[in-house]
Amino acid sequence: MADVIPAVEICDLVKDFKTSFRRQKLRAVAGVSIRIQPGEVYGLIGPNGSGKSTTMKALLGLVAPTAGRCAIFGQDSLRVDSRREVGFLPENPYFYKHLSGTETLRFYGKLCGMRGRVLDDRVRELLALVDLESARDRRLGGYSKGMLQRIGLAQALVQDPRLLILDEPTAGVDPIGSRQIRDLIFRLRERGMTVFLCSHLLEQVQEVCDRVGIIFQGKMVREGRLDDLIAIEDQTEIILRDASPELIARITALVATCPGTELVRSGKPRTTLERLFLRETHRDDP
Amino acid sequence: MSQPLVSPVRSAPGSHYGRIAVIATHAFTQLVRMKVFYFLAVFAVITIGSNFFDLPQHVGPEAAGTNVLNSIKSWSLGTMTLFSVVFAIVATALLLPKDVEDRTLYTILAKPVPRLDYLAGKLLGVILLVLVSLALMDVLMTAVLQIRTSMILSGQLELAHSRGWSAAEIASLRSDILGQGPNASLQGAVFVVFLRASIMASLALLISTFSSSTLFTSIISFLIYFIGHFQADARDVFLGAGSGSMTRAISLLLALALPDFHLFNEFDAVIQGQVMPLILLGKLTGIGLFYAGFYLIASWFIFAEKEF
Repeated sequence: MADVIPAVEICDLVKDFKTSFRRQKLRAVAGVSIRIQPGEVYGLIGPNGSGKSTTMKALLGLVAPTAGRCAIFGQDSLRVDSRREVGFLPENPYFYKHLSGTETLRFYGKLCGMRGRVLDDRVRELLALVDLESARDRRLGGYSKGMLQRIGLAQALVQDPRLLILDEPTAGVDPIGSRQIRDLIFRLRERGMTVFLCSHLLEQVQEVCDRVGIIFQGKMVREGRLDDLIAIEDQTEIILRDASPELIARITALVATCPGTELVRSGKPRTTLERLFLRETHRDDP
Repeated sequence: MSQPLVSPVRSAPGSHYGRIAVIATHAFTQLVRMKVFYFLAVFAVITIGSNFFDLPQHVGPEAAGTNVLNSIKSWSLGTMTLFSVVFAIVATALLLPKDVEDRTLYTILAKPVPRLDYLAGKLLGVILLVLVSLALMDVLMTAVLQIRTSMILSGQLELAHSRGWSAAEIASLRSDILGQGPNASLQGAVFVVFLRASIMASLALLISTFSSSTLFTSIISFLIYFIGHFQADARDVFLGAGSGSMTRAISLLLALALPDFHLFNEFDAVIQGQVMPLILLGKLTGIGLFYAGFYLIASWFIFAEKEF
């Protein structure tokens, strides 16, 4: 792995902002380092104002680091060329309302140097991918929040980037739309795309990410593989299907005979409210 | 979302010109879809209405009607100047803050788009809008002027024939009347109006790179526009009064930074039927290109360092 160029490399990033009046410095990011290998899905989580978006903006060259360095596939992110391999969906994006879905994707595709048949085919494929074929000629002013998020995702993918950066990709989207976006992230991961997302919806991050970083007050307080971070080392989970009460009683009795081992909890595992909602709302679909 | 994932594509990097053209076309479309061309109805009313501003005249019957032609030209060019400058300033002042506020700028700059390309595209989009607007107004003005000139010419020729004027006198009369109608100098005057509006669009772009609101950009731009009309007088006062070298240097710098819009009022002579010399048109074009380029580069210097 030593020779692989990381998809994202953020080294000791520091970003200070000057406040409007007293010109005092506000440190938004304080020495954050992140390394994301190609094909990984990395989640940056933290409360509002913890420096997640500033880190992403620094990676995209939208803000200049006060100290430190950001690189995308080895290229300094302050260089325009580094953006050829990146697709970005900002938080709560508002695209040009006067453009239709097709026109929006064509506009962003042309900015990336795409033209003609290649662009036409790409726009058609992306509209199908994000389920907006029926709204392709409708102006974005008439799109719902979820539709805007999906067209935003399509524009981020228009030039087929190797790295996708998503800032709160499911913010304000209903559970079905949110599930669609997560499904898409799964499929992009299967295809080998690197995804860097930030969110404060922890359950979603847990579901899709390979590695996670927790940022708080501008500092990285914890980072690692998700499985390692959330595993409770001194506990073991066994889930049984169709187990009789007698079997449960025998297992419980067996555990009681082992000194130093404690049965913490037994009972029926619960589904999440979100899964229940999705199951119930899909049942009525024609 | 059950469709297969899209096939991989590799896009060409794209040229600067290509990107600028895409952004310019988009900015133009954006402004057109804001229904800005409704103003053409107002212009049509003014141009047609100027036919009826029959001012008292102190000329003989052989020159009767030419004052109406002057009135059409004067009102039309005046309205073109007003509309084009207002469009140039307000449209430019609107586009940049709107992109920042709506965060659409993030999605554009997150693509491989240099900031200079973005600024140049926005500016060209506004200039294209001004150009198309002026072209449409020009067509309307020329049509009204042509019809009115023909009417006056036929009336005057009839009068001349009834008075038994010689062929040379009639040819001179025809030439005088046609000189007041639509001609190349009038088109040159419209081009001067376009140059002035283009300079103002570039200036508004520069201000909007550091301003925080459309209103501030518009007010400062209009202020500079009016100051620009007195720039030469102010410079003469400072430089001609034998002031110190520092004052002279400041005056010269001001003259470089602020265009002398008084120079662009040369089309007043065209309204009176005089010919606009090509050398003057060339000089004004040079001044227009210099200031538009100067303001664009200055905008880039500020915008390149801007954080979002």
